[in-house]
Amino acid sequence: MPRWLRLAVVVAIAALVVVLILAFRREPTDVRTGTVGRPAAAFTLQQLDGSGPLTFGPTDGKVVVLNFFASWCIPCKQENPALVRAYERYRASDVVFIGILYQDSLESGQRYVRDNGVTWPTVNDDRGRVAFSYGVFGIPETFFIGADGIIAGRHTGPIDETTLTNAIECLRGKSADGARCIREGGR
Amino acid sequence: MTRSRGILVVAMLVVLAAVGWSARPHEPSAEERVDRITAELRCVVCQGLSVKDSPSESARQMREIVAQRVTEGRTDEEIRDEFRASYGDWVVLAPPIASWTGLIWLVPVAALVAGIAVAWRRLGAAAAAPPAATADEVAALRRRVARAEADDE
Repeated sequence: MPRWLRLAVVVAIAALVVVLILAFRREPTDVRTGTVGRPAAAFTLQQLDGSGPLTFGPTDGKVVVLNFFASWCIPCKQENPALVRAYERYRASDVVFIGILYQDSLESGQRYVRDNGVTWPTVNDDRGRVAFSYGVFGIPETFFIGADGIIAGRHTGPIDETTLTNAIECLRGKSADGARCIREGGR
Repeated sequence: MTRSRGILVVAMLVVLAAVGWSARPHEPSAEERVDRITAELRCVVCQGLSVKDSPSESARQMREIVAQRVTEGRTDEEIRDEFRASYGDWVVLAPPIASWTGLIWLVPVAALVAGIAVAWRRLGAAAAAPPAATADEVAALRRRVARAEADDE
């Protein structure tokens, strides 16, 4: 076998090994959405409490926490106490919480909100269009939007209070560099 | 005989006409476009299923979005771009050649070219005439043969 061919085979095998090592080390649930780092999509959806439509415009200049949830989603219930505590902490500040009901009936969503102490604004994404525009894979998913209207990060799976608080504080302090506040991922 | 040949020719012409008619280029209907586009998109909550093939609620909603975009007059590329904007290149079942995922297409081609190159060299080497033996090699061989014959005697 010529020398160049031996070298090529060695390089190809080494490259394959490197690719396999990187692939196996990767968290299989860590699938990146295409929306982080881009402007948050505006939307208008009906509120679960029946008080009419809620319009979200990313130019509001506030830090926004968007949480996609459903009544049938067990991890959503697991993360809910952390959301309740974080909301109580920031409700009087410049941080906006919005819950978005995803793939659920209005009645079930209303019951969930009532039974689990969800007092922040909640809306019904009954056709899944908002979830699509944010690149939601599965719930719960929480998106953090900086004051500049850019989606700074996304947390998949149940979120804890520390992660929530750290992300919010980071965004409030460094809204111009939101990308460093939240590492995309979770679970 | 002549009559049966005529029937055979007519039958073949009918079959050819039917095949030609079915394979004629035509403008796809909206439904065909939705089917084609959703077959190229990955269901985001499934394991290796397309949006078209998945029975999940997410896939159903995505099919609705594609159908709406087709009705609005968007091109296939615009619809695919919208999905890529939300979910990245991952959402397209056939990875685009332009991004780093293009390696998936290039590696087999490179391997095939390398394989052909190796086979070509091997075949060329096998076809080439073996080099002629030198005078020393011939003399050494004669000595070995003579020794072998002497041993036999």
